[in-house]
Formats: sequence, C-alpha cells, structure tokens
Amino acid sequence: MSVDWKEVRRRLTIAEAAIEGGWTPAPEEAKRILKERARALAREPERAEATGGSIEILEFRLAYENYGVESGFVQEVAPLKEFTPVPGTPPFILGIVNLRGRILSVVDLRPFFELPAKGLGDLNKVIVLHDGNLEFGILADAVAGVRSLALAAIQPSLPTLTGIREQYLKGVTPDRLVVLDGGKLLSDPNLIVREEPTP
Amino acid sequence: MAKKNGEFLKKLLATFAVEAEEHLAAIAAGLLELEKAPEGERRKSLIETVFREAHSLKGAARAVNLTAIEALCQQAESVFVAMKRGELAPSPPLFDVLHAAVAALKRLAVAGGAASDSGEQSVLDALGRRLEAASKAAPTAKADAGPPMAGPAATEGETAPAGETTEGRPDASPVQAVPPEQPVLADTVRISTAKLDALFRQTEELVSAKLATAARAAQLREFSRALAARRKARETVRSQALGIQTALENCAESGLQGKIRLNLGKLLEFVEQENSALASLESRLAAAAAAAEQDSRVLGKAVDGLLEDAKKVLMLPIASLLDVFPALVRELARDRGKEAQLAVEGADIEIDRRILEEMKDPLIHLVRNCVDHGIEPPAERTRRNKPPCGTIALAVSRTDAGKAAIVVSDDGAGFDTARLRQAAQKLDLISAEEASRLGVEESLALAFRSGVSTSPIVTDLSGRGLGLAIVQEKVERLGGTVFVESRAGAGTTVRLVLPLTLSAFRGVVVRVNERLFVLPATGVERVARVEKEEIKTVENRETIQLNGRALSLARLRSVLGLPARSAQAASPGPEPFVLLAAGGERIAFLVDEVVGEQEVLVRGLGKQLLRVPNVAGAAMLGTGTPAPILSVPDLMKSAVRAAAPARPAAIAEAAETAKRSILVVEDSITARALLQNILEAAGYQVKTAVDGIDALTTLKTGEFDLVVSDVQMPRMDGFDLTARIRADRKLAELPVVLVTALESREDRERGIDVGANAYIVKSSFDQSNLLAVIRKLL
Repeated sequence: MSVDWKEVRRRLTIAEAAIEGGWTPAPEEAKRILKERARALAREPERAEATGGSIEILEFRLAYENYGVESGFVQEVAPLKEFTPVPGTPPFILGIVNLRGRILSVVDLRPFFELPAKGLGDLNKVIVLHDGNLEFGILADAVAGVRSLALAAIQPSLPTLTGIREQYLKGVTPDRLVVLDGGKLLSDPNLIVREEPTP
Repeated sequence: MAKKNGEFLKKLLATFAVEAEEHLAAIAAGLLELEKAPEGERRKSLIETVFREAHSLKGAARAVNLTAIEALCQQAESVFVAMKRGELAPSPPLFDVLHAAVAALKRLAVAGGAASDSGEQSVLDALGRRLEAASKAAPTAKADAGPPMAGPAATEGETAPAGETTEGRPDASPVQAVPPEQPVLADTVRISTAKLDALFRQTEELVSAKLATAARAAQLREFSRALAARRKARETVRSQALGIQTALENCAESGLQGKIRLNLGKLLEFVEQENSALASLESRLAAAAAAAEQDSRVLGKAVDGLLEDAKKVLMLPIASLLDVFPALVRELARDRGKEAQLAVEGADIEIDRRILEEMKDPLIHLVRNCVDHGIEPPAERTRRNKPPCGTIALAVSRTDAGKAAIVVSDDGAGFDTARLRQAAQKLDLISAEEASRLGVEESLALAFRSGVSTSPIVTDLSGRGLGLAIVQEKVERLGGTVFVESRAGAGTTVRLVLPLTLSAFRGVVVRVNERLFVLPATGVERVARVEKEEIKTVENRETIQLNGRALSLARLRSVLGLPARSAQAASPGPEPFVLLAAGGERIAFLVDEVVGEQEVLVRGLGKQLLRVPNVAGAAMLGTGTPAPILSVPDLMKSAVRAAAPARPAAIAEAAETAKRSILVVEDSITARALLQNILEAAGYQVKTAVDGIDALTTLKTGEFDLVVSDVQMPRMDGFDLTARIRADRKLAELPVVLVTALESREDRERGIDVGANAYIVKSSFDQSNLLAVIRKLL
C-alpha cells in the first residue's frame, strides 16, 4: 500500500492550526460562549413541577427490578471487585470491602425484599449510603444514573407490599420504580449487627 | 460577628476547662500531702501552693465570666489564707470540706461553669456556707467577701490570664499576689492530643503503604521468575527449528523445499528476534524487581523509624493517670469507714497514652478492690496488730524486658481462697471434688473467672465478680500479663506487666476454606502439626497431646460456622493447628494452612458491624484485601460451645474419592462466589477464573471435567472461550455450559454455533436447573 505523504502533511497542518487557533477564541467569541453557558446554567430544570417539587434519585437495578434511592444519601458508587465475608454475621451482610483504605460493610438487600432466589445477577456495584453517622454499601446489579423525580409521581406504597419490604419504601412510581427511603435504611437498628457470642 | 464572638468564647471556655483541670489536680494533690505533713516549713509551702492554685483558678474563672466557680474559689481561698496566717489549724473535717469543694469545682468545670440542676445548686450553696464558716471560725480571719488582703509575701504583678486586664476588674482592692514565675525559654510545647492523634493515625497509615509496596515487589519478582522459567522453552523451540533447517539442507533441493526453506528462514529470524527481545525484557524486569525490593526495604525502614518516633510522642508519665488515685482512695476509705493511704512509686515512668487510657478503669477497679475487700476496718486491724490505717501501694517500674510492671498491693486481709472455691462451685465452674484438690495458686486463678466473687453483697464498688476477668481481658488485649499473689491475713498483690508502647500489631495468618483469617500473635502460643491418628476423643471431645499434656482440640472451621468442605479430604499428612491461649486456658485449633506471621494494619469493622462474635476487627493485608481478625477470648468461648461430635464426616469423605472438577468463569465476584458455593455444596471440586484468558491459562494447568462460563466478560468473552476450547486438540471434548444475561435467540444460536453444550439464561437461573444440566453432561 502506498502512502500519500503530501496528503498526510496537509492534514497535519490543518489539524495543527485547528489546535492552536481553536483554543484561543477571539474576545467577543469568548464572551458569547460564556454568556451562552451562563444562560444554559440559569435555565430552570424542566422536570421541576410546580406541584410539590421533586427529589433527585440514583436509579439502580437489583434482581431484575428497578430501584431508586435519594441521591442525598449516596456518597459514591464503587465497583465491587473483591469482598471478604465475615463469619458470624447475618445473611444480609455480604461482607467487608476495602474502600480506599477504609473498611466498608456491604449489605445485600435481597433478603429484606424477599426477592426470589432465582436469577443470577451481576451484583458487582456497591452504592455507598451515608447520613453523617452511619455508612454502609448496598449491592446493585447495575447503576442506571441519577434522575429527578416529581414527588407527586410517587405513590406511597401498594397494598400487597408488606412486611420488611414496605418498611424501607418511600413509594412506587407508575413505571414501577421502587423508591427506597435511604434515611430509614440508615437509621434502622435491625441493620446494625451487635451480637455477643452465645455463652 | 455574633457568631464569631460565640466561637471565640467557646474556644476560651475550652482552654479554661483544661487549665481548671490542672489547677484542681494540683490543689487535690496538695491537700492530700498537706493532711499528712507535720507542722513546719513543708506545710507552709504546701499551703502556699494550694492557695496560689486556687487563686489562679479564680482569676481564670473570672476572665471567662464563670461566677459560680469564681465564688467557690474565693471561699476556698479565704480558708487557705486563714491557714497561712496560722489562724486555722488543719483538721480532718476541714479537709473533708476542702476535698468536697475541689470535687464540686471539678463538676462545675466539666458542666461548663454552672450547676447542672437545683440539687447540685443546693450542694454548692451548702459547701459555700461550710467554707465560709470554716474560715470565720478562725478568730482573726478576715471573712469578708472581698479578696484577701495582702499577706506577708505580697508583691505586685499577679499571674492572671491575659483576658483579665481587658475585662475590667470588679474590685480594685489590692490582691494577694504571687511572684510571677521566671519566663523560661521552653523546650516543650503544648499540642492538643487531637492533633497528635491525627498525626499518629496518618503515620500509621503509612504502614499500609509499606505492606503494599512489599507485596508489589514480591509480585514483580514472581513475574520475573515466571518469564525466566520460559527461557528454556524458547531455547527448545529455537533448536528444534534449527534442526529442521539442517535436515532440510541435507535433503535434495526442489522448488517446494526452497519455499519452505525461505519460510523457515523467516521463522528462525523471528524466533531469534523474539528470544533476544525477551531476554532483554527479562533482564530489565529482573532489575526492576530488584529495585522495587530495594525501595520497599528503604520505605519499610523509614516508616518503621517514623512510627517508632511517633509512638514516643504519644508517651506520657504514668503520673498523669495516677493523679486521681490518692483522692479516690481517701474518698472510698471514708465511705467504707476504713482508713487507707496510697503510696505511689515510679510515677515518672512513661507509657503510651493509649495504654494508659485503657488501663485507667482496670487500675481503678484493682484499687477499689483493695479498699473494699483488702483493707480491714480499723478495729479489726488493731486486733491483728496492724496499724489502723491500711496502705495501698501502687508501684511502677520498668522490667528488664523493656516493659512496665505495675504492682498494686495492700496490707489487708488477702483473698479468702475457701470462699473463692465456694463461689466457683456455686457457678458450676468446678466440682466439689475439684474444689477440695485446688491449691492456693489454682484457687486464686478462679478469681479471674467471670462471675466469681467472694463478696457476699453486691455494692456499687465491687462484688459483681466481673472485675478481675475484665482486668485480665484488657491487660491481655494490650499484650500484657496479670499475676495475683495473696497471703491470708497479710495482703494481696496484683502484678500487671504491660508493654510501654502499643507495638505494631502482628498477626498469624491462617487459611480456612480458602479464606484468610488473622489471629493476634499475642494470643497464639505456638503453631504446629498433628498426625490425624494422634487426634483422640475424650468424652466425645477431640483432644491432642502436646509436651505430655492433653489439650482440647477444636476445628476453626466449625467454630466459625463455616461449611464443612469435602474437598479437604484430599489433604494427606499431619494437620496444622494453632495453639491459642487466653485467660489461663489453652485450646488448639485446626486450620487448613498456617500462612505465616506478619505485621498487619488493624481496622475496625465500621459502625454497622458493632459486635460480631469471634471477630475483633479487620486487617489490611499487603494485597489490600481485608481479612477478619479473630478474637482469641471469643474463640475460646465458642470452641467450648461448638465442640462437635468428633469426625462425623470421615465416611462421607472416603466416598468421594473420584471428585469431578469444574472451572467457573465469571467476572462478577458475587456471581462467581455464588456459583462456586452451589457447585461445591453439590460435591464438585471447583476452581475459578475471572475471564476467558484466565480460564484458558487455568485449563492448561489442571484437569477439568466441565466449564461453567459467563458470556460477557472483559478481555475474552464466553463465546470466544468456547470457540478456543473447541479448537484446542486436548480440550475439544470438554463440556461447556454458558450462563448469560443475553437472552435473545441470536445469542443463543451463537452459543450453540461456537460449540456450547448448554445455554442458561441468568434471569431464569435456578440452581437445581444448573445442577441437572451438569449431571446430564458429566
């Protein structure tokens, strides 16, 4: 295969000019761009509905269902590469992980939601929840992203959702997104392990 | 601005609290000595000291506008002035009032300067009145509310806090003043412990960097060795190619052979180039590995040195802990109607502040025991020809082994060993027959058992029988030891030996069920192996013999509640065990493997896992993976409970000689662990790989009967892996089960096309289905 070196050089020159010129816009041009950005930032988010406001949630998948948790309680999302099971802990404790030098306990919510044993999820994401006092991770199959949800769109619960499952629920949306109450999860003493050795 | 002022005031109050504590400690110590001091110069100087301290405290309180403290100080000061002038003779009731005043001032300082409730307020009022009465009792004492008039030693220039000059003094009368201390260029600075702790934590954090660097260096060395090991194989290929070339040259020429020879020449050239490139890479890798090891050593030394120095910064004279004790003994003794004095020795010995903090409660407990159980009432003591006032000695010294010995002794009644045996018998800890056989020493050991108390009544002080057990647990956790010595009628001596600093945590790493656990090295007495035939049951409990003594044997696996692994049946030869010791008892624990002893960085389990049986914390190993640190005292307790009927699995193990082996390939750790658990529970031997490439490498290293693989994986997916397996001459017949999230018909068809034997969709995954499929294929 023959190379057209002339053509290559021509393209390189153009690219070079573009690189140098592109990063130093004329003053008016810069002003225009900044103005545009400012306007874009100042724009009201479209989803904010006048009736009752909205909350921002982190949406994730767990055992083939869609869940959401208020993003205010989410510290970060980390990939789960390895974990260490801790003997003597209840089944909802997956184990502990090293999160940048800190020990983080990871909770598997499936036992609480009575999710069927069927299915093999990836469960390789950890959503780190915190409320200033307590901190732990919850397992998720995948994280869909952050979105804003109108409070009016959240139904309190459904009559068939009972027991522990209902306890952590903030509500359900028409598209069957289960919104978890991060505050309740973080303040539930049942999630704290404090077990003395049986004498 | 208001907020700023508020913050400033908060800071001032915090400073005041620290200052107040120091003044009050000095007054308390001075009062105690004063009570013992005979009339003379010494007494005079002591009175001067307490007076000065009270006066300074008053000034400091006024500067931050804490009038309640100021007023009480004023009243105490009046008493001291009267004493100074010789108008008021020291007497026990007077000291009682003064001690009570110091205690009240302490409470006030802690509570932020005001009485916490009306009850406290009335106590304060009563105290004030008693102090006032005491100072007025002196015939010529000035009992006016104003500050005392200039005494004989008055000079100008009061040592008052800076705030006072700007505050404007409420009264301008000349104030009893003390000569300012000579300003000395200090070679010490005052740093808040919070700052020091933060600094120390960061220093400690470097240990994890040290461990990680060492692990990386080891990894590099391993890679270097692996590459070197391939050198021979490369040489073989080269010489084989050369052989072919020679053989070809010996054959008759033909056009075809000419082409082969040309290609062979190219191949040989390539092999030569590869060989020299790899050889150069090999030597560079070896050099890098050596450099990394060198760096790791240098860093390790630097970190160790830094940590050692940082620990010294945390050391404090034990006096800082013992300051509270004289007042405590006095108070307790008065409360119990006894007389006791405390003699402290070696208070200047420096110990790690963290150890001191941990030892505060145990020492208070021991001293309380002395007063409560040891020292007899004065009448009883006189009857026994002892001085009516008992002596409790707290002697601190350094041992030859570079440790600190704290000896708490009293000249009281000593332990009632008969009562100890009775108490232990009542709790079913020993039988009546055992009780009759126990000697003095063994009986004393009973005092450390939880629940054993000789006290017939439970008081707020002691008698619950938990005290000594807790003392022992705390001391042992710090890496120390406890001995008790007691002679009936002559007193009790408790000797604590403690490390001076918290040494780096060393752990014995063991493996059970492919998991790593860390045992604190301080709790591990020894590590050894035992032949299976040597394990004998006594009353259906497993035991072994060590140094001519029978030892209880437990299996760490069952104590921790881990599933029994039939795969272990394969391990022939003697089984490794660790001998754990705590609270004077020893139990051997069988493990799968003793990996070794190493330094580990200790972490808590976090706020969610507040207390987990048998687990004390987590250790960061060099690889960055946390491993549970096991609690030796917990394990000892659990072992007694979990002692299972011996060897139920022996028959089952024998039945599974020909075990089928399965390779699980899955990139998600949780799914991988789940599949492994399901298959192992079903009796298969399982190995795992994290992706297709890893799987191919693993398949080459061992014999497998079946592969269970995920489809979507990094580097090489399940389709490619299956195709590669089918293309490999040796592996072509290996059954492959694909487990996938891809549900479409195209994907399923592709799976069949590449040669998978079964295709299981994850969303409808069900373990019985998987096992049925596997059984059909094997």
